[in-house]
Amino acid sequence: MLRLAALAAAAAAVALAGCGGGGGDHAASPPAQPYSKRSTAPGAVARVTPADYRRPIAEYKRYVHRQLAALLGEVGVLRAAIARHDLAAARAAWLKADARYEAIGAAYGAFGDLDAAINGRHAGLAGGVRSPDFTGLHRIELALWQQRSTREAAAPAGDLTRAVARLRAKVVTMEIDPLEYSLRAHEVLEDGIHLQLSGQASPWSGAALVALRAEVKGTKVVLRTLEPMLVRRDAGGALPQARRALRRLSVALDRLERADGSLPRWDRLGQRDRELVDGLTAGAAEQLAYVPELIDPRPARPAQRSFGDDG
Amino acid sequence: MRRRAFLGSAAALGAGAAIDRVLGAGGAAPARAADAPVVAAKPIPFEGAHQAGILTPAPAHAIFAAFDAIAPSQAELATALQTLSDRARRLTSGYEALLGAPGEGPTPDSGILGPRAAADGLTVTIAFGASLFDERYGLNAHKPRALKPMTTFPDDALVAEECHGDLLVQLCANSEQTLLNALRDLMRATRGSLAPRWKIEGFLAGSRDPGAPRNLLGFKDGTANPDTRDPRLMDSLIWAGGGEPAWAAGGTYQVVRIIRNRVEFWDRVARSEQELMIGREKSTGAPLGRAKELDDPDYASDPKGARIPMDAHIRLARPYTPASESSRILRRGYSYSRGLDLSGQLDMGLVFCCFQADVEKQFEVVQKRLAGEPLVDYVVPTGGGYFFAPPGARDGQDWIGSGLFV
Repeated sequence: MLRLAALAAAAAAVALAGCGGGGGDHAASPPAQPYSKRSTAPGAVARVTPADYRRPIAEYKRYVHRQLAALLGEVGVLRAAIARHDLAAARAAWLKADARYEAIGAAYGAFGDLDAAINGRHAGLAGGVRSPDFTGLHRIELALWQQRSTREAAAPAGDLTRAVARLRAKVVTMEIDPLEYSLRAHEVLEDGIHLQLSGQASPWSGAALVALRAEVKGTKVVLRTLEPMLVRRDAGGALPQARRALRRLSVALDRLERADGSLPRWDRLGQRDRELVDGLTAGAAEQLAYVPELIDPRPARPAQRSFGDDG
Repeated sequence: MRRRAFLGSAAALGAGAAIDRVLGAGGAAPARAADAPVVAAKPIPFEGAHQAGILTPAPAHAIFAAFDAIAPSQAELATALQTLSDRARRLTSGYEALLGAPGEGPTPDSGILGPRAAADGLTVTIAFGASLFDERYGLNAHKPRALKPMTTFPDDALVAEECHGDLLVQLCANSEQTLLNALRDLMRATRGSLAPRWKIEGFLAGSRDPGAPRNLLGFKDGTANPDTRDPRLMDSLIWAGGGEPAWAAGGTYQVVRIIRNRVEFWDRVARSEQELMIGREKSTGAPLGRAKELDDPDYASDPKGARIPMDAHIRLARPYTPASESSRILRRGYSYSRGLDLSGQLDMGLVFCCFQADVEKQFEVVQKRLAGEPLVDYVVPTGGGYFFAPPGARDGQDWIGSGLFV
């Protein structure tokens, strides 16, 4: 995340001049809704420190570990279906595995190269889908949907299994940066909007809705781990509003389910349904974006007038 | 090619003087576009009997953005509409931008206009589509009398993704940056209640020569608009009244049509032929055989179409018959340009926009007269919709559409 680098740089310039809003200037032209509901860091509650993140992150790592155990099983099913050339079963298994991985998006940054091995896309590779570096879930997706070939999927499925196993072993010791973790409260959905709903991430399977649902689930887990830190600082009600927005999105996704419980392809959805999902996802991201500042683990940054240059 | 057919008879013509004209549904009469990019020094008030952005002079830039309502209840729809007006009021007044400070959360303002955002001639015009009045929000009984989904005409090639919408927001200003700031602000404030459906950005040619601005066919467009300074004329042609639900009186019907121009093809056509299709002289904009842009085309002296062909665009659009004068519309269109199609052709044309008191009796009557005109080979309507722009906000607390929820 580029943003992280920028924030870190800003933090380096810290002065202990206090925190909170930009002073009385606000009164001159108060923002209308929903900004009027914005919360500012209340002075009465101690600032969050990195140490406060120990428990939430440990809890989240346990969650990731469990998800990876399940993923390992699902990848095994996928590999077996591919080995017996059962295209339908392979596709079903792929959808499950892909969703499972999307559900742990808040930890991607800590996965290092293994993230690319599991979930890399062809977009940034010279040669695109023909690049030898294009591996993992989406290489298999290409084989199963576009090429309709279990044979093409066999080698990548073997590589995927090994990468997931390695990742699972690594989770126990991996570090998740507190600041990064707090930002993931909305960045998992930002990725969903940018990569899934734009049609880039799962172009062949059309599985954006499946992935999005998993991302919503993962976001809820992040919020749950942060809740004890948030509730005491959330004078403006950012958390309940974010939860409500996520609930609306979940309900909308559930309503799109077909009789067999599966979700339709994103690229086949009607315009109104697509707008609903786009709109509710964007609406949830908007609410979730208020979360990270409430629990910013860095020292307070200097007060700054809310107006621009001339203050 | 229909155009070849009439060439013989009309080619005899020659000369032509004249100027302008546009395409789209034509209509007529003058005024305003002449001073296309107008710089309003003072903010244009959001409040008023009628919304701004209709009779107010058209500045150089516009965005038309259609939305669908996804608010879960009528009350939340009302909140979103109120928010839209609240934000619009602030944006159109000019304001001190809150750029954000530590501990405040997401930056409250895009900041793209700097710390002091000028009004910059911005108007925000809000209109409702027929679909807003379906069963979802219980507004059926309040539907404006003549509001309906946009008709598909025989020469149309509509793309579903850029048609219709529950809501249309028309933004106009002197600069694109001002529009983009406003659009981002309005969308952000209503996220989760209003989902974007389609959007198109338009511009007006600067006044390189006097009179109406030129469209992308190279002809002057907007010469024949009704006079917006004539309140009685506006009352009869533009503002909806009799037969409308009480809340809607003083509103107006807005038609937007995205009309692609096949400009490469058009540029391969001789000027004389273009002029016969349009009915105006290309350099001056005058009706063919006349001297000046605003000259009367004088069809009485040309009953067989020897000077201006019977199927020329301006003649069909506004034949100057007593019946046709009551079907006049107020055009307020913009040019657009947006990339290429698969064949490598430029995707550009006209965002046709017009206002009237009754869509069927005005826009559609004009449109039917234009059906099959020679110009249709060069213009392709691909999108748009019919909307109703409610009356303006009465005061600083009122909001557009409030009458629907009382």
